[in-house]
Amino acid sequence: MNYDKLLNVATELGCQLMAGGAEIYRVEESVFRLLSSYGLEGIEVFAIPNCLIVSITTPLEHPVTRMRRISGHGTDIELLERCNDLCRRLCQETPPPEVAQAQLAALLPQYRRYSRQKALAGYFLVPACFTPLYGGGIRDGICAGLAGFALGLCLLYGQKLIGGNRFFRTAICSAIGSLLALLLVQVGLGQNLDTITISVLMLLVPGMALTNAMREIMAGDVISSISRTAEAILTGTAIALGTVIALAIGQGL
Amino acid sequence: MNLLWQCLCACVVCMGFALVFNMHDLGILICGGGGAIGWLVYCTGNKTIFSAFAAAAAIALFSESVARLRRCPVTGYLMISLLPLVPGSGIYYAMRHCVLGEYDLFFSTLLSTVGMAASLALGAMLASSVFRSVFPRIAQHRNTKNSSP
Repeated sequence: MNYDKLLNVATELGCQLMAGGAEIYRVEESVFRLLSSYGLEGIEVFAIPNCLIVSITTPLEHPVTRMRRISGHGTDIELLERCNDLCRRLCQETPPPEVAQAQLAALLPQYRRYSRQKALAGYFLVPACFTPLYGGGIRDGICAGLAGFALGLCLLYGQKLIGGNRFFRTAICSAIGSLLALLLVQVGLGQNLDTITISVLMLLVPGMALTNAMREIMAGDVISSISRTAEAILTGTAIALGTVIALAIGQGL
Repeated sequence: MNLLWQCLCACVVCMGFALVFNMHDLGILICGGGGAIGWLVYCTGNKTIFSAFAAAAAIALFSESVARLRRCPVTGYLMISLLPLVPGSGIYYAMRHCVLGEYDLFFSTLLSTVGMAASLALGAMLASSVFRSVFPRIAQHRNTKNSSP
């Protein structure tokens, strides 16, 4: 059997799982299970949010190690579920590494993604329905929806304009969202500025990162938990920075 | 009536997040259901920190059992269903107090927000761990084959 190829498949699969937003223990366990189902021993897997190291010992006592650096990772549940399915299937069937590699390569371009229009519908719906939870009315909901829609446009289409830096992207988006909320209230469509702003900002709040970090620290992955917490705090600071601009303008008016 | 309306809104919020995070088919409805259950528990407990804990536990139980049934990773359901409970208003007001220089209010708001987030995470983790330790026994009892979540 070609152990190099097997190692490549396992590492790539772990990488994709991480890109889909899986927890560290899920990535480590999936890679471990995949390799051990091929009858290997001496498997070591180590993962932190932006790095994955996998090491195996072939039956000829030859150690092989592969490291992958994972750059940006968001949350993509469909990718996560498909990779998890594939991993489970590979563990049961253990096809030759070449076949497994082909299956993994075929998975990536063809898994389902929502069109930008549908994602924008999501960006409208989330803030619009958050307002009743914070005590807002129908008109506040419409305002929040519009501001969220603009925020979604910025995130989905404005990649080149606002740059790839995550911190500044979040800051700019939150500034746009809260400024629009302010504008809509000034125009007279919205009534409750605080409620609208909070509802819009819920789109950017790092709730996922924070809960993931808490789950990981309970699971014992302290390093990745700290890194994710730092990420969440950074995003929170960016949101605050963006909102401060709108607040300052609002107080000037 | 108001409570029902709010639960419906929480459901739609989660469905919207499901669209944003690329979740398909039945998953959207499951996330919506989880969100509604969480908000119902949270509101019946009068929105205290303990009710947030209970709501997170309820969501975790719901999504763990659904994930077992569908043989999908629990991550997506759990994370998205928890999002309506994230204390967004606390974060916003804390930031506002900080900018306005009201440091006493800032610290008290920040502390209650952190407490809220921690109780959410703790509730979800506790329920998940209990479920994971109890579930294999039930599954064994039924003589069905157990697999990883």
